Amino acid sequence: MSTFIVQRALALAAFSPAVLAQGPVFQTPGMTSVPSNYSVPGSSNDSGQANRFSNVFNPAFSFVVDSLVDSIHNSGASEDGERIELRSLEFAAQSWVDPSAWAYFVAVADEENVAIEEAAVHYTGLGGNHTLRAGRFFIDCGKQMQTHVHELRTIRRPLALRTFLGDEVKGDGLQWDSWTSVSDETAVRWSIGAFSNLLPESVKDIDPETQAAQSIADRKHAEDFNFTARLTAFTDVGQNGVLQLGTSARVLPRFAYTFEPSGDAAEDLDNTVFGLDATYGWSDDSGLKSWTFGGEYVLDTGDTYSTIGDAGTPGDPTDDSVDVISDELNGFYIFADYAWDKSNSVGLQYSQVESPEAGTPDVSETEAYYTHLFSEFHRLRVAASGQNREDGEDSTRFAIQYTVFVGAHGHGVNW
Amino acid sequence: MIHMHNSLAIRIRRAASAISCLALVALTGLAHALPAADPLKVVCTLPDLADITREIGGDRVDVTTIYKGKENTHALMGKPSHLVAMSRADVFVQVGLSLESSVVPGLLENCRNNRIQPGKTGFVNVSEGWSALAVPTVLSRKDGDVHPQGNPHMNLAPSAGQHMASVIHAHLVLVEPGSKLVFDQRYAALVKKLDDASARWALVAKDWKGRKIVVYHKEFDYFADAYGLVIQGSIETKPGIPPTPNHLASLIDTMKREPGAVILTAPWSNNDNVEQVARETGAKIVELPNMCGGTSGAETWIGMMDTIHKRVAEALPTAPAAR
Repeated sequence: MSTFIVQRALALAAFSPAVLAQGPVFQTPGMTSVPSNYSVPGSSNDSGQANRFSNVFNPAFSFVVDSLVDSIHNSGASEDGERIELRSLEFAAQSWVDPSAWAYFVAVADEENVAIEEAAVHYTGLGGNHTLRAGRFFIDCGKQMQTHVHELRTIRRPLALRTFLGDEVKGDGLQWDSWTSVSDETAVRWSIGAFSNLLPESVKDIDPETQAAQSIADRKHAEDFNFTARLTAFTDVGQNGVLQLGTSARVLPRFAYTFEPSGDAAEDLDNTVFGLDATYGWSDDSGLKSWTFGGEYVLDTGDTYSTIGDAGTPGDPTDDSVDVISDELNGFYIFADYAWDKSNSVGLQYSQVESPEAGTPDVSETEAYYTHLFSEFHRLRVAASGQNREDGEDSTRFAIQYTVFVGAHGHGVNW
Repeated sequence: MIHMHNSLAIRIRRAASAISCLALVALTGLAHALPAADPLKVVCTLPDLADITREIGGDRVDVTTIYKGKENTHALMGKPSHLVAMSRADVFVQVGLSLESSVVPGLLENCRNNRIQPGKTGFVNVSEGWSALAVPTVLSRKDGDVHPQGNPHMNLAPSAGQHMASVIHAHLVLVEPGSKLVFDQRYAALVKKLDDASARWALVAKDWKGRKIVVYHKEFDYFADAYGLVIQGSIETKPGIPPTPNHLASLIDTMKREPGAVILTAPWSNNDNVEQVARETGAKIVELPNMCGGTSGAETWIGMMDTIHKRVAEALPTAPAAR
């Protein structure tokens, strides 16, 4: 027995230096081991061992510069005029962590702040076609919501998605993703995600003196997490076409509206957005000339909107109440794109949303756009869009978007 | 008595183990000696690779092809059928050198088929061991759509057939050793055909050294290099970058000052820019397949190369143009 223990101890002693040599310079008891990289063989810092200054396994870095020049003309009282802006500077990195996981982060700086938009790990070690994604990432809801705005076909996300889901919706959570084939030409993918909070960024932009703030509790029971689900299938259509159909949902089981001046709150509210999307793409034999048609219908259900009731002293906000509207609101967008070569394409998109309140107008938006790719990483887009409201307060916008992609750019976007 | 009984039991167990081992060895040997019932599912990117795989594999392979033959090899998008085929494949064959980077990385990552991942015997990169032209010493997007491993259009080199066949043969034998005899015999027959074709092409091209060509995209560099053809210029400003008016004017000026070049283009790139250059310089346009299936007569790799040699021979002046 004692011989066995001595043998095991010797074996451990022989093994330990190799393990510790790849850890930090000094490790105190109870601290987790931090992996480090290897130095380049033959370089001045090549000690033959891993150390904290080695950079050979650094991730792939990239950045994106997305700038916009636009001119807005309103028929009503809204702000208009011209503007030049660096819409966003995106900085990203991605790398394999080990054979069954890769990770990435995306930080975005706009004119005012820097935000971590995504930071997640894709774990592929479950076998089969399953993936677990954990961290912060854009929701898998509909055809477009996984995509950052600067990568869309259009200058902005369609009006129907902006209105019912948000311009960009990310959450801290966990998502299971998988796919299977149902024939030689058809694959089906699904995902289910649970998040702490899927309210869009725009909820922070409200005026607290006149509008109720939307909020979700930080800590909650599991059933009150925010959820997403998507089921999509795509299939070959002949030799040159692909059709994709999908259905999605985003569920907020419990949230609240709070009006700061009076302290009034409407709690235990819920909201679910359903989506149905279809996209058809066709390309010629060269793969360079293509048509793409698509659309998505969005249904916003449950507690959809809040207003402030001035029931007490007129003009005094301290006794105002939060009135919540429960309704079913419809919206949709459709588009057609045509690319006549590798570098040039045009498109037209129309989107419409139903008003949440009786007496307020439905809104529609039409956008025409031309995109020129100087190269795969260098894009110029010219767009004209018009927003029409039933109350006649229309606006027109002309925009030039200039975007460059530097480095190994990519996100964890699923098909 | 008990002791004797135990000894007998031990002997029986040992005998049974030995018989089991022998049976296992015999079955394994049988399995290796006889081809498996189902043919190997092979996914190839280019039809060129599919043709060579079929030539070597015969009825032991069931081949699916991703490209059809007329595409820009750098711009293809994956389709559902590609993903499904990759998920079921026993073998995946690509050119590599980042030729198919628009479609292969996404398919490889999403198909989740461990048999065909890089490093596995089912992953076949036919550019493995190939001496690529134009390997960049400095990697910069300033040089256009550069390929870090060098010019990727190795399938258009007259000597590529032998190389691609050698790599594919080696991997098929590794994946299905039981069919080695079949693969060896068919491979030997293919090599004979390729050698005959190479001799035929060398004869056709014996006077080509020093003749000038202009290309749209740097697809025919290996072909030109094999016969000493001089590439006077490319219509693309840089690889993958469409021509600017200044670049076209400069190229046209050069071609007028030093006439005699023919313009080589592929089906996907035979466009208005090519016509403009031809119109303003009087140069002939020669549309060539850039992979099997690109034009009639190019259904097989040898047939494609025959077509390319024939069309270039017909287009080049009978004697070298005066410089």
